[in-house]
This record gives sequence, structure tokens and C-alpha cells, in this order.
Amino acid sequence: MKYGIISVVLLAICWTGFSSAEELPLVDTHIHYSHDAWEMLPPEKAVGLLRKAGLKYAFVSSSSDDGTQMLYDAAPNLVIPVLRPYRKRGELSSWLYDESVPQMLERRLEKYKYAGIGEFHVFGDDTNLPVMRKVIQLAHDYGIFLHAHSDSKAVENIFKIQPQARVLWAHSGFEQPTEIRRMLSTYENLMADLAFRNEHAVNGEIDPQWQALFMEFPDRITVGTDTYTPERWFYVEDHANWSREWLMTLPDQVRENIAYRNAERLKDWGLSK
Amino acid sequence: MKFVRQCLLFFLVMVCGAQDVSADVTFNKAEKIVISRFGPWPPVSQADVSNKASGNPEAIELGEQLFGDRRFSKGNKLSCKDCHQPEFSFADSVSLNRGFAPLKRNTLSLYNLRWSNWFGWSGASDSLWMQSLRPIISPDEMNMTVAKVGEIIKNDRSLNEEFERIFGDAGNLNGELLYVQFGKILAAYQETLISPRSRFDQFRDALLAGDKRAIDLYPEDAKRGLKIFLGKGRCHFCHFGPLFTTGEFADIGMSQFNADGSVDKGRYTGIQTLLASPYNLLGKYNDDLTGTVGVRTRHIRLLHRNFGEFKIPSLRNVSNTSPYMHNGSLKTLEDVVAHYSELDIERIHQDTEALLRPLGLSDEEKQDLVSFLKTL
Repeated sequence: MKYGIISVVLLAICWTGFSSAEELPLVDTHIHYSHDAWEMLPPEKAVGLLRKAGLKYAFVSSSSDDGTQMLYDAAPNLVIPVLRPYRKRGELSSWLYDESVPQMLERRLEKYKYAGIGEFHVFGDDTNLPVMRKVIQLAHDYGIFLHAHSDSKAVENIFKIQPQARVLWAHSGFEQPTEIRRMLSTYENLMADLAFRNEHAVNGEIDPQWQALFMEFPDRITVGTDTYTPERWFYVEDHANWSREWLMTLPDQVRENIAYRNAERLKDWGLSK
Repeated sequence: MKFVRQCLLFFLVMVCGAQDVSADVTFNKAEKIVISRFGPWPPVSQADVSNKASGNPEAIELGEQLFGDRRFSKGNKLSCKDCHQPEFSFADSVSLNRGFAPLKRNTLSLYNLRWSNWFGWSGASDSLWMQSLRPIISPDEMNMTVAKVGEIIKNDRSLNEEFERIFGDAGNLNGELLYVQFGKILAAYQETLISPRSRFDQFRDALLAGDKRAIDLYPEDAKRGLKIFLGKGRCHFCHFGPLFTTGEFADIGMSQFNADGSVDKGRYTGIQTLLASPYNLLGKYNDDLTGTVGVRTRHIRLLHRNFGEFKIPSLRNVSNTSPYMHNGSLKTLEDVVAHYSELDIERIHQDTEALLRPLGLSDEEKQDLVSFLKTL
């Protein structure tokens, strides 16, 4: 009987450990639901894929923003709307020169609630172009963050233009830990997402350089998939499971921060106004 | 006035003459170096040390026989040869074939596989013998079981004896080992399937030898196409070497949706399948006791970019292997060239795949590129 109780307790401990890895809540901060995605995946099906991945929230931005609104209508307790400055796919490198973009953003910001503006692509000194300056101003006026797919130079320029800006650095700029550390140390309002990054973890083990970065900035990192094609929606679950695997090797507090708390705090800040 | 007319005529002759001269396509030193690396054909080949039957004449002969043997499918319905038809370069000429169910990937040609490292569109096999096993037990293809394959071999005295002669085992082998040996014999035969020397090979050799007469036999439009292949098209970055392929995988912006709405994850699933299989080169069925051939498999890492990547196919004999792409969705070489010319760049993550961009080819350039491909 005694051994039976011990076995049950051990089994329960093992089960708890296993289930916590499986059920670790995640916020995916890098989801797109663009027009070709909603043509292939109606909102109910797309939401189903997010729920299947066990996501607590998904930061969604789309080309056009109609996709985000459709998804938000389908799952307001799951979708965190982020306003993308692209009306359709294909505007990735032309939007900065389209002076009608700020007006379009303003109209959407007046009509709907957003936590941020992005994900947009801007590099180097293009940040100083009038359209980008207006976008930075709009984010400041509405008290929401900027989701920037940018190099370090562009991020630095954003903070030069508006030191109070909050920036979620898409893909951590595809930079290495040394540079990410420099940027996070320099700009306290900068957070970094790990979307489409592999280097930090192999087979569930975190690279020591990245581990040091995560330990140094446990409240500044988020995870994300980047569904840049409709097909990538079917990768959200794989990505979530892959993320859980390496996240489980981190100390509890750090793990929870990177998995969902950092993103939740950013969401709460963005939606609080 | 007459003088003016004569001048005009002289000018026209000069212009036309100049065009004729410029139409003579020549290749600079750098281009010749790349062209030289497209050969010689066929390359030197060695036996597959992971397969004891590799290069064994008896295994090759038996493999050819088994390749057309329908007993190794459920209900004696199909053989390998039914999808890999010799008259279609050991492919099948349809977009998507069906075995016991509709298939989701285009049938690849079996030519020149002896020089590959990964097999199938997703590289789910790391040896030709492992790849030969896959369709046998796939429910959608030949729909057999490992045990049934073993039973057929055990119950066929002549076949059993041939297996024993080739592998030197006693006759009490278990079904799984016989199944693996079956794959190895099929592989021994497929290693002998080598595409013939092409018009391009003759041109390449002539170019390197400076044989002007033989060089002139190669069509001018194909030469112009080769120029595009090496230059504006940048095709040779992925399609290089004697096989015209790196042998690796890439996402070239093709749809990954299957007809039923599911998604083909390509190399991502391929790596997972390969690493989980008992038949990979890290397993006990690898005949290479040194462990050398398994090194590549040991170092595979599953990456985000692998999702939606498919095998970069060899371009040898490509005009005989239509339709194209992993899902057979492009019917002709013209369609393939048009795909690259008008590539939707936003379907490809530029931070990891910076090589691809829309080529923006003119109609004439597209036709020249196709003409070149048809000579391979």
C-alpha cells in the first residue's frame, strides 16, 4: 500500500512535469493574416490553428488590416490587433514612399483598437523619410508600440526621432547576441522577438551566448512564428512546440517571461489607452 | 540622292553585319570555369558502402527483375515500374499519380540517383536503399507490410537462394532484415540508371578543348540560354556541378497546399521522418562499419526554414521529366522559367533566402533559357 502511494505520487510528479512542458502558455508575437491567407484559411480555421498551438494570445498584423479585423472578430480574447501599414502583399519596399499610408493608418486607428503599428520593414536612414516619421508620431500619439523589421541603425533612428517610443524588434534584427545585448542595454524601451530564429536553440538546448542574453534581459524577449505565407499557419503549432522545448530548460521566471509575460505586459501597455 | 541611298544601304549592311557578329555567343574565362564544372559526364562513381549489394552484378540483375515485380504490392497490383516508367526517364509524365490513393507529390525520375545524398522531394531518406523501402509500405503507394515482403521472399525458394548468395546470410533471417535487403537489391539496380550524354555535354567538352567546329554545332539559342543560366538567371548557384543541383533543398515560392487543403511541409517533415526511421544511415542496417557515410545525417538540424523546402532537382534530362515541381503543378519548362521570371518574392523569407528574386526575363530570354534546358 505504502509503495502504491509512493508510486502514485511519483507518477503525479512526472505527469506534472510533462504536462507543464506541453501546456506552457505562449504568446506568439509575430503572426500575419494577409489576403492570401484568409482566402485559404477562413477565420474560424485560422483561429483553430492558433488554439491548437495552445497560444494564450497572438499578435496579428495583416496586409491588409482587414485580415486582422476578421480574425479579431472571430476570437477577440485571443487576437491582439497590430496595425500593418500595407494594404496588400507586395508593398514591403514601396510603402515608405506612399504618402497616403499615414492617412490610412490614422483612419484605422480612429476606428479600431490596436496595441501597435507594424510589422513594417525599414532599414538604415530610411527611417527619416516623412512617412516613417509620421508612423512614429502616430504610435506616440496613440501610446502604442512599433513592430519594426529593421537593422540596428533603423531602430537607433526611431529612438532618435522619438526617445519615448516603444519598439518590438522583429527577428531581433537577425543580429547576433552581442549586438542584441548592445541594443537592449542602450534602449530600455526596446524588446526583441525571436521569430524565424534558430540559432538560440538546437535540439532543445540553448546556446550559451543566447542563454546569457536571456538571463540578462529576461523581461525583454518574446517568441513568434512569422506566418509570412498562408502555409506557415500550419507551422504555428510546430513552432510553439519547438519553443516550449527550449523554454523548459530556463529557470521558471525567465521561462514564463519569454513565453508569455513579456508579451502580455506589452499588450497591456498598448491597449491601456 | 543616289549617293544618300548608297550610304543608307552601306549603313544597313554594317548594322546587320555587326548584329550577325554579336549574335555569335562566346564565353569568358569565368563562365568557362563554371561550364567546365557541369561535367565530365558521367562522373566517376563508387559503390555505396552502406549497401553490401551495391555494384554486385547478380544484385543488379535481380533488382531489375524485382523492380517490375507486382507481388510486392497489395493484391499484386503495382510494381515500382508502374510509376517509374523507363520510357519517361523512370518518372511517369503525370502531375500526381495514384497508387492505392491519390498521391501528393510528383514522381521523380530515377536517373543519376547514385550521386545523391538525400532522396525524395523532402529528403526523408539518406540512402537509395532506404528510399526504395518507403513506397513499398506506404499505404497510399504499394500498401504492403514489412512482414509480407519477408514472407514472399522466404516462400520463394529461388529468390531466397539469390538473397543468400548476395548477402551471404543463412536462410533464417527475420522479415525486417529481408525487407531491408530487398531495398538494397532494388537500389543496386537503380544505381545503374544513368542518363545518357547530352548535347550540352558534347558542347562543354568541345568548349574546353577549343574545338570550334563542334562548338558551332551547339544551337545559338541554347548558348544564349546558357549565358542567362550563368548570368541574369543566377540558376547555377543552385543547379551546379555535373548533376546541375546542389542536392539540397530550397523554398522557391511554390504553393505548399495539397488538393485536400492540408499543407506539405516538405523538408521539415522529411528531416523528422528521416531521423525517426530505423532504416537511416545511423541505424543498424547500414553496412558501412566505419560510420563514415552516416556523418551527414548525424549533423542534420531541423530549422524553421526547412518548412516548405523541397529538393532542388537535377536538371539533367529535364525536358523528358515533365510536369515539374514537387506537386507537378507546372506542365512545361516554359511554365518553370515563367515562375522564376515573375517570382512572388514575398512568399520567400528574404533574410534567409537572399538569392531568389524575380528575373524579369523578356520573351526571347525565356525562350533561350528553355532552349538551353532542352539540351541537358
